[in-house]
Amino acid sequence: MQWVQVLVLGLLLGSVYAMMASGLTLLFGVMRVVNLAHAAFLLVASYITYVLFENLALDPMVSLVVTMPLMFGLGVVLYLLLFPRLEDSPRYVEMTVLLTFGLALIVEGMLTFTFTGIFRSVRPEYASSSIRFGGLFMPTSQLYASVISFALLIGLWLVLRFSKTGTAIRATMQNRSAAQIVGVNVRRVSALAFGIGMALAGAAGSLLSFMFPFFPARHWQWIALLLALIVLGGMGSIKGAVIGALLLAVASSFVTVLAGPTWSPITFYLTLFLILLIRPQGLFGAKVRL
Amino acid sequence: MALLEIDNVVAGYGGGPDILTGVSVTINEGTSYCIVGPNGAGKSTLLRTIAGFLSPRSGEVRLDGATMNRARPDQMLAAGVCFVPQDASLFPTMTVKENLVMGGYLINDRSLLRERLHTVFETFPALADRKSQNAGTLSGGEQQMVTLGRALMIEPRVVMIDEPSLGLAPMIADQIFEKIKGFKDLGITVVLVEQNAVKGLNAVEWGFVLDLGSLEFEGPADGILADHRIRELYLGKQLAPRESGP
Amino acid sequence: MALISAIALILLFPLIAYPIFDSYAYVLQIGLLILMWISMSSSWNIIGGFAGYISLGHGVFFAVGGYSAGLALAHWGISPFLFLPVAGLAAMAVGFVAGLITLRTRGPAFIVATIAMLFLFLLWFDNWEFIGASSGLDLPLFQFPIQFLKVPFYYAMALSAMGAVYLSYRVAHSKFGLGLRAISQDETKAEVAGINTRWYKVWAFALSAFFIGTAGAVYGYSLTHLRPLTFFAIAVAARMVLMAIIGGRGTVAGPVVGAILIIGVNEFAVRQFGQTELNIVFIGVILVVALLFFPEGIVGSLRKAGRLPAFLDWD
Repeated sequence: MQWVQVLVLGLLLGSVYAMMASGLTLLFGVMRVVNLAHAAFLLVASYITYVLFENLALDPMVSLVVTMPLMFGLGVVLYLLLFPRLEDSPRYVEMTVLLTFGLALIVEGMLTFTFTGIFRSVRPEYASSSIRFGGLFMPTSQLYASVISFALLIGLWLVLRFSKTGTAIRATMQNRSAAQIVGVNVRRVSALAFGIGMALAGAAGSLLSFMFPFFPARHWQWIALLLALIVLGGMGSIKGAVIGALLLAVASSFVTVLAGPTWSPITFYLTLFLILLIRPQGLFGAKVRL
Repeated sequence: MALLEIDNVVAGYGGGPDILTGVSVTINEGTSYCIVGPNGAGKSTLLRTIAGFLSPRSGEVRLDGATMNRARPDQMLAAGVCFVPQDASLFPTMTVKENLVMGGYLINDRSLLRERLHTVFETFPALADRKSQNAGTLSGGEQQMVTLGRALMIEPRVVMIDEPSLGLAPMIADQIFEKIKGFKDLGITVVLVEQNAVKGLNAVEWGFVLDLGSLEFEGPADGILADHRIRELYLGKQLAPRESGP
Repeated sequence: MALISAIALILLFPLIAYPIFDSYAYVLQIGLLILMWISMSSSWNIIGGFAGYISLGHGVFFAVGGYSAGLALAHWGISPFLFLPVAGLAAMAVGFVAGLITLRTRGPAFIVATIAMLFLFLLWFDNWEFIGASSGLDLPLFQFPIQFLKVPFYYAMALSAMGAVYLSYRVAHSKFGLGLRAISQDETKAEVAGINTRWYKVWAFALSAFFIGTAGAVYGYSLTHLRPLTFFAIAVAARMVLMAIIGGRGTVAGPVVGAILIIGVNEFAVRQFGQTELNIVFIGVILVVALLFFPEGIVGSLRKAGRLPAFLDWD
């Protein structure tokens, strides 16, 4: 029974990671953007959630309604402002890394300036309770976050599969020039995809605000983790990101129980290196992918 | 009025040198054309510039008299100018049917889309047999047929095809050219770029000979084929002695 | 000629500065920092600029250099000044092994691999009791008259910086460097042309570690207290990258120009506005602006416009 418990906890956490990683890998798949600022923007959403909670007593899960559209809009605007200019550059992907690196620094600096480095967290009532189900116990906050994450992932899948924009996004991910050939406005699609990715980061920020305490520099740990996840799953593959996230979360859940919490993040990175040794393109990545 | 006018266009990629050095070409509705010339002449670049993938550095690209220099590829497509590039432009993990449906991306009317799909399957019965197969698993000739079928989905006014016979066995290439000739009956203006000048010129009415980024010669396609001087100067050693004839 | 005067200036600076400046230690510290970043940025440039492989994990080499020298001092009493080359070699060895793994990937996956490398080492050092874990390691103070304390550190760092620039120069003017440039332009074509891209990249990675290790050794000693976060902080990687880009990635003089500029501007900002968090906002903004408008950096843009003064043209 104990192992099922560990498994379930891993899955709960993993689903949140999966949702975050999907947004990030979507950005890469559609526009070849490695968004090093993804977690920094996630934190922006966390801080917004915090402010809303402290001042308006707004439940963090409800604040998704605020953070998601806000981040979506921010994403679209940022993309259109910054990225089209880089498009002709011969080393586009690297440039996006450096550009988003700069963005991350800017966001972190501004967050520190506004909120200082104090640990913050959002503590609604359910943050400290847990639910018993069968013989298992699950922290309520993790359960809620997990359910919402699953819902968002399903929503993402539905949009990508059945909407016209979603089809355009998938086509652009598969073959950008072919998408252009059939009339997709790839710039518009890229901006929308960026918005969606950021909206997911916003959702994650709101959810994480009541799961873990946060401070401005925390985003580096998150982005390192997320990047490791998407490389593991195969960059650009949403399926890979989800599976990779769940696998790693479960694995590190077991490692935590067996060897202690410090080993948990080490597991992530060691696993990544192992996978890179054997299969550099990740689980579901395409072979030579630049 | 001509359908497409390319007026003294100069163009190049990124910060690089001019590939097109002042090319002027007129495309009239209903005629079929083939652009030939040595390697590096700018044939593909010309098509890409017309299609909107490249903006002219000077000169104009006009459609029905209107300047289209800054038009995006999707805007050119909406205006009826369809481009079929030479590299794999299919969606590899989508089925044949899905690829064709993507060709109709700009069509919002679902029944019209179905109608067009039906027409394409009639024109390319081989595709109908493979409609649920992943496009990535098709043979070269079949893939080329998918790209042609996809082009037909929006009933374009102009179809520009870059190297239709590339990588195809001669017999398959002939089949493709037969299909392309059939476009004329559908009222579509065809502009080809072909390295295999004989096959290309044999499939069309009018020929353009490009060299070093500008137009060297134009005239009826069979005339160009028959002219030994042009063949020697521009079409060089690609032509084997026994390959001419329709 | 320009070279000799530059070297003379660097070597004579502590002597010249003494009578001129009141806050001698502060001025020397600035000099030390500039030299340190010249060392680090020029080294990073070997893999990040010449080969075009962006690494955000080079803080690892900084740490390896700092800690190896610190441990040699703390446990065996060997002065880091003497231990410098060994610290460099240690960093290079780590770079070689890490390179073998991380360079199995390309492009963005590589960048991620280097970040993972950074975090792996950070986690390891943070938890390794032998080296003091996250609370750190204390080093004995260097015995020297207090008002001239910084001087030996300055010279040691100058050695490191000159070594780094010299290495960068030699790589740029060698067949190896040409191969690296080919790889950065089009790796597939480089492979097809017969360049053993794997070894070239791994060696570039390893070489780029050496003078970062030496810089780490000197810097760590100057702090007298080693903590993992000092070396592994993202701001370290950020600065290395930024300086190379601002100055001109892929040129020899670029990182030097970048280091001088960024440290100079940073100090100016600190004196004007105080040491606030807006500092990294500043770095971020400069990086973004540079990438959007001057991706070639100062030296690169000047060269493109045909206006590169001779004293900056070291390629």
